[in-house]
Amino acid sequence: MHHIYCPYCEEMREEEEYSYTGEAHIERPKDPAAISDEAWADYIFFRSNPRGIHHEMWYHAAGCRRYFNATRDTQSYKVHETYKMGEMPTITAATVAANQVAKGDAS
Amino acid sequence: MSGFRHGAGRLGDAQLNFTFDGKPMLARAGDTVASALLANGVEVVGRSFKYHRPRGVTSSGPEEAGALVTIGAGGKADPNARATMEPVTQGLEVFSQNCFPSPKFDLMSVNGLAGAILPGSLFSAGFYYKTFMWPAALWYKFYEPSIRAAAGMGVPPKVADPDIYDRIQMFCDVAVVGGGSAGLSAALSASQSGLRVVIFDEHNDLGGQLLNEANSDQNADLEQWRKDTIAALEAADNVTVLARAVCWGRFDGNMLAAHQSVDGKVRQNYIKVQAKKIIIAAGAIERPLVFGNNDKPNVMLASAARRMLNHYGTATGKMLAVFTNNDSAYQTAFDYSDAGIKVSAVVDSRQYPSEALVDGCMSRGITLHTQAVVTEAKGWQAVRSIEIADLAANGQSVSNRRRVACDVLAHSGGWTPQVQMAAHGGKPPIYDKTIAAFVVGDQAPDTYSVGAAEGENGLLAGVAQALEAAKAACAELGGTAGAVTAPPQDRDGATNIVPLWSVPAKGKQLVDIQHDVTAADVVQSHSEGFVSVEHLKRYTTLGMANDQGRTSNVNALAIMAECRGVSIAEAGTTRFRAPIAPVSMGGFAGREIGKHFKPVRRTPMQEWHEKAGAVFVQAGMYMRPQYYPQAGETIDDAYERETEHVRKKVGICDVTSLGKIEIVGPDAAEFLDRVYINMFSTLKVGKARYGVMLREDGIVYDDGTTSRFAEDRFFMTTTTAKAGPVMAYLERCLEIDWPELKVRVSSVSERWGAMAVAGPDARATLTAAFPSVDFSNEAFPFMGVVHAEHNGAKLVILRISFSGEMAYEVYATSEHATDIWQTVVDAGQAYDIVPYGLETLGALRIEKGHVTGAELDGRVTLGDVHMDGMASKKKWFVGKNLKQREGMVHPDRPQLVGLKSVDPRTPISTGSILVTEANATAGADKQGWVSSMTYSPELGSFIALGFLRGGKDRIGERIYAAYPVKGKNVEVEVVSNHFVDPTNDRVKG
Repeated sequence: MHHIYCPYCEEMREEEEYSYTGEAHIERPKDPAAISDEAWADYIFFRSNPRGIHHEMWYHAAGCRRYFNATRDTQSYKVHETYKMGEMPTITAATVAANQVAKGDAS
Repeated sequence: MSGFRHGAGRLGDAQLNFTFDGKPMLARAGDTVASALLANGVEVVGRSFKYHRPRGVTSSGPEEAGALVTIGAGGKADPNARATMEPVTQGLEVFSQNCFPSPKFDLMSVNGLAGAILPGSLFSAGFYYKTFMWPAALWYKFYEPSIRAAAGMGVPPKVADPDIYDRIQMFCDVAVVGGGSAGLSAALSASQSGLRVVIFDEHNDLGGQLLNEANSDQNADLEQWRKDTIAALEAADNVTVLARAVCWGRFDGNMLAAHQSVDGKVRQNYIKVQAKKIIIAAGAIERPLVFGNNDKPNVMLASAARRMLNHYGTATGKMLAVFTNNDSAYQTAFDYSDAGIKVSAVVDSRQYPSEALVDGCMSRGITLHTQAVVTEAKGWQAVRSIEIADLAANGQSVSNRRRVACDVLAHSGGWTPQVQMAAHGGKPPIYDKTIAAFVVGDQAPDTYSVGAAEGENGLLAGVAQALEAAKAACAELGGTAGAVTAPPQDRDGATNIVPLWSVPAKGKQLVDIQHDVTAADVVQSHSEGFVSVEHLKRYTTLGMANDQGRTSNVNALAIMAECRGVSIAEAGTTRFRAPIAPVSMGGFAGREIGKHFKPVRRTPMQEWHEKAGAVFVQAGMYMRPQYYPQAGETIDDAYERETEHVRKKVGICDVTSLGKIEIVGPDAAEFLDRVYINMFSTLKVGKARYGVMLREDGIVYDDGTTSRFAEDRFFMTTTTAKAGPVMAYLERCLEIDWPELKVRVSSVSERWGAMAVAGPDARATLTAAFPSVDFSNEAFPFMGVVHAEHNGAKLVILRISFSGEMAYEVYATSEHATDIWQTVVDAGQAYDIVPYGLETLGALRIEKGHVTGAELDGRVTLGDVHMDGMASKKKWFVGKNLKQREGMVHPDRPQLVGLKSVDPRTPISTGSILVTEANATAGADKQGWVSSMTYSPELGSFIALGFLRGGKDRIGERIYAAYPVKGKNVEVEVVSNHFVDPTNDRVKG
């Protein structure tokens, strides 16, 4: 059971209040009528499914009913941060890797 | 009769009465059912799962595999309770299990004999899979009923549980799992930092293995330390002590789950604790030795026999023998001897026990047999003697068998650290040769396992580990753990174990006592290829019993490793999963049971419907009138009458449950153009339009009517089922996909009560009801929208029709909705208005060929329901890209058709499969299905809607609606889905 910080409510709330709604930062094609089926299918269906750091959207369904982003580790399930729609994460796979190098953690 | 009261132990003086299978028994305050039964001389408590062998108390803790009883009667009955964990309360009723007619004489124990006559066939490993495979037909008739009758343990109560269960959320900085010496020390030290501490222990009395110690003058200082430490914890404001709380799982985000038994109105609490740091001091469990008939009553763990005597003041027998492969069991022999109970033998499989132990035996006059084993426990029902023998140096054979008298055999195969909680959050445990058991490998984040749970059995050494952990945990949280007094005495933790995984001997050698899994079953599992520990577990059901493998796993793994010729480390353990102990479902449900499980939504007109005698049906969360029976009417009579009446005169129906969403803002029209397949920007103010939404993948999502109240204000209705999801979807679109659109959406479902007024006399009825509104066709045409007020109620009236008749939907502010409903009903008296329910609503829409949730099931495309023509070609909309993919427009897709019974009085079952042959069998070509059905008074026939492969071009064909489970096969004619008024004249009239 996670406690997740809602960046709009500005409070830690129970996981049960939220629902996960898919990968974040997938840009919607500006003119869907003009693009190929392949490009559209890529937008609709294909997701990165990484092992480790993942940026994803959550919906505060039983709270403020707003969507926000979370940075979560898909291995440990740890939620590293949450941030509003339109903002960018401060923790990414790259920053985690850089941190590990800095700590001399070769594993 | 072997057990008896002996000394006071740590029990109170108060006498309690309880019954076992109706027989009155005496107990003392603080007794568990197990200790009280032993004290009353009960040896056989129940029968085993498969072989119905007699079973008695085998332990004094959560690992109990023999004494499983039903506690309480009626709705309060709790089957399969571990007698060792249940405190006796005044008047408690306890029942034996799995025995007929009584535990001492059980008819089913012939299973055990059959197993002896036909070794390895009946009830051996994998017997479920092998014995009852063929012929399949016999499963339902014979095998399953007979297995169910013979197997299983307690009987679940058939009446509702009258007790209350609660759920509790807790937060703490440091959670300590286990209230033994290590756990108590860690909790007290951590609490002195001021941080919030929670400590769990599954027993009533905290202290862990300190409770095994004799409550003697010699140990007075140790007992005082235990009491002082508990008192200090209970006195601290920042500490929550949870006794009788089994912590059974650890989950993401450092959440610990526990069930706590409490006395009072509430029976159990399900407690979720969110901890920043977790100290696991869950201790270790003694494991049994594997020898012949080691499941016989009065064979029990050495530590249990010791705790029974020292803590519960219950001698487990009049003559004790001890069988061990390590040092720890000697103390049981010494304590019994010191208490004046005869100890007939200590049988040690090791060659050279330490001098201190040998001296201890000699000084007490206890005969010590070294390099010797117990080959078999003897006795008709409970132990009356043991056969012992010398063990060959290679451990493979025995010699010099001889009998030793005893009526209780205490045995110890070493200690198994309780690694489950640590393993839930981290990596698999690793094998430690010095203690011949698995210990925690890498610690999970924020977790420290200490003491016996970490393989450290020494008293002071375990406490030192616990204090280290408390210090580290507090430091990471910015606190400083305090110094606490160490226990005044030490207990050496070295067991000097020499593993003895099984004894070369005859008789059934049980590995898993509760599930009747023998050492032979493990060997057989290996020979049949189930060699992985995970397969072994599933093939034999080993470790799946109440004790979750606490007593059986290590022995079984070791025997399997031996068979495979690999090390125990290599064989590994099965994966540990929550819950590690049996937990009641009641705790999970909490108070959300019965009517509180799911809220019931009622429309504002509920009371009116009740007075009108409506029969209600739950539609989603809503209670909706299903039909309004008149005297003597069946449901069929009622809906046929209501349906006919609407078609001929006028009816009124509560449609409040529709989802209602207001969409407001300068870009509202543009927004609707994107989410609906048809145009809404062209919709004139004061008009309504039917709209269809697709998902991005081109599948139909929802439909409804949206009206334009003003240039920048729309009023959308959704289906009842999709009210919530559509709202969430619109919010998502605006927040994620098109944040640039200046639109706000707001659910107004609760704001409006809604009613459909339908039938040829609808206009006249509403004209009489609301004289200020001009209902003429010119002023208020089909798809028109009118705002009005009536006696303080705000009204929105839409001229739309779901029934296919001339119809209006009247939306009235919720607080006035019943008044408005009554106004319409009163005005409609002149036209014999009738209220109609969900059945008639369905009948009318099926006659008209309108689709609803039964048709829009998440699989259909626009083409499937003949709505492709509605899709705008002038704009892009959600779902447009993919709705044209070849699979979505294939002519062979199942398409919506009407179906009419060839024999008009034969109903067509919903869910029927559409086939072309009259006598279709399972292999027939399934060409479609029936989604909704009704009797149509208008057509005088049963009709249905369904989906038929290429159905659009198959009008006029005769096919069959088959329902093999009910043995039905109905001949139907394929017709248009618009049964009634296909040209829409009535709605526009």
